[in-house]
Amino acid sequence: MTPAVSADGVSKDYGDTVALSDVSISVSSGEIFVLVGPNGAGKTTLVRALTGTIEPDEGLVSVLETPVNDTDPSRIGLLPQSFAPHDRLTASELLEYYAGLYDQSLAVSKVLSDVGLTAASETRYVNLSGGQKRRVCVGSALINDPEVLFLDEPTTGIDPVGRRSVWSLLDALSDNGATIVLTTHDMAEAATLGDRVALLDDGELVESGSPGSLIDQYGGDSVLRIETEETLSEAQIGQFEGDVEQSPSGLQIRNVQPDTIGQFVTQLNELEVRYGSITWTEPSLEDAYLQLTGNDSLGSATGYRKSSAYSDP
Amino acid sequence: MNRLSRIWAETKASWHSFLRQRTAIFFTFGFPLLLVGIFGVIVQTDPTGAGLFARPVGYYVPGYLAVIVLFTPLSRIGSTVARYRDRRQFEKLATTPLSGAEWLGAHTIVNTGIILLASGLVLAVLMALTDAQITLSLFLVPFIVAGVVVFVGLGAILGRIADSRDGVIAASNSVALPLVFLSDTFVAPDQLPAWGSLLIELSPLTYFARGVRQVTYQQAPATSELLVLVGFAILFFVLGAVAVPQPD
Repeated sequence: MTPAVSADGVSKDYGDTVALSDVSISVSSGEIFVLVGPNGAGKTTLVRALTGTIEPDEGLVSVLETPVNDTDPSRIGLLPQSFAPHDRLTASELLEYYAGLYDQSLAVSKVLSDVGLTAASETRYVNLSGGQKRRVCVGSALINDPEVLFLDEPTTGIDPVGRRSVWSLLDALSDNGATIVLTTHDMAEAATLGDRVALLDDGELVESGSPGSLIDQYGGDSVLRIETEETLSEAQIGQFEGDVEQSPSGLQIRNVQPDTIGQFVTQLNELEVRYGSITWTEPSLEDAYLQLTGNDSLGSATGYRKSSAYSDP
Repeated sequence: MNRLSRIWAETKASWHSFLRQRTAIFFTFGFPLLLVGIFGVIVQTDPTGAGLFARPVGYYVPGYLAVIVLFTPLSRIGSTVARYRDRRQFEKLATTPLSGAEWLGAHTIVNTGIILLASGLVLAVLMALTDAQITLSLFLVPFIVAGVVVFVGLGAILGRIADSRDGVIAASNSVALPLVFLSDTFVAPDQLPAWGSLLIELSPLTYFARGVRQVTYQQAPATSELLVLVGFAILFFVLGAVAVPQPD
């Protein structure tokens, strides 16, 4: 299958700074491809290379089977990072403006509705909230009904409800065959939207794959933490199945499935061990990200993982 | 037709943006009026024939118009280019069918409209408040349009070269102020040293000032001045269009 977007050995330097180093990606038609990585990893530079707004020092980029600079611009849509259109035009006027740049476009009212801005359509951009502004910007990328959509941090500054509506919109576009390349710092967004996620670090493509495969491979184990009020004996610990460790705050058991948590609770009660709370955490894309970027110790130290907590009744 | 609709979309957006900036409107039209107020009404022509304003007021009318045609598009386009770049609008536009020439064409239209209005205002004030003896002619319009095109193009080049809005303002002032004095506007060539006379011949504003003077004051044909000015306009428009938009 011919990819909708491909980059082959793309490199770009800015003076002594290596922004991209031999990056190759291939995005299939209808796929949502998410680029993640630390600040300065090269995500925006890659988006710029993919949209032809910068010339790579080396490598080839093609979009819709043609070199990017020859691609019909009406077939692609771009939301640049930190993009801000005319302050004093209303949301509706801004979308009319961008619609006017194309031979064919979607109805402005439809796009306003899609991005949830019908009620604010006559509000000037400068007077919109941060999230509304970003949604106007997303709308400007959608107005020409593009086949390939490049979105550089599309949901930055948008509240959770608005973010989810943008996710639904992007999902629907993808279901209708649009190819979407987006960057984000939000791992939940990457995991929810991405068919595939690629991690860039220091200008290099570190890893890519489906969110599930990245979590399986790099996310680590699920962990059940039981906060006990007493130190257990070796004999008591031996009663539990699995990889059990005792720490000053209690027990830590790896690779526990949620449906077996009840068994541990039963065993604690049978052993008459008093406990405070029981917390189960599953590995997330964020854990995989931290592992891949060499910052996994941060995640462990803060315990910042997706978790479910149980308390002693 | 599609090209025209793209230019129209950019023109409309830019025009509406301008109309909604009260301070921009005030100073765009206030600046030339201030100029006329200071030099045309307060200072006036020296009746002894000495000093800067040694000739009748009508002689300096091209100077007032030249200042508007020079300063307004130069600073407006320069700062517009810087603003579009800072707000990543060029990056967005680079992925649309709008070309650099179309973008510059749209902004030329907007600036031409603004400067025609400002020029009309200045002429009306001059005629109302001074004893300027001038002839109004439709031949003024192509001079103003060509002059605007020249300095829109130059503004785009300055906007490209300067890396910030502050830089654009500084660059515009550095270019515009010498041009005012080296373009046969308020300072006659015989008041300058020899090298100044040479520079005068190289300045596009010279052909604007001389042509407008011939039309409004000397009632002489100004076709050759207009042709030279149009030549400059084509050159600067092409260079300006190449200069923008450049997101990298």
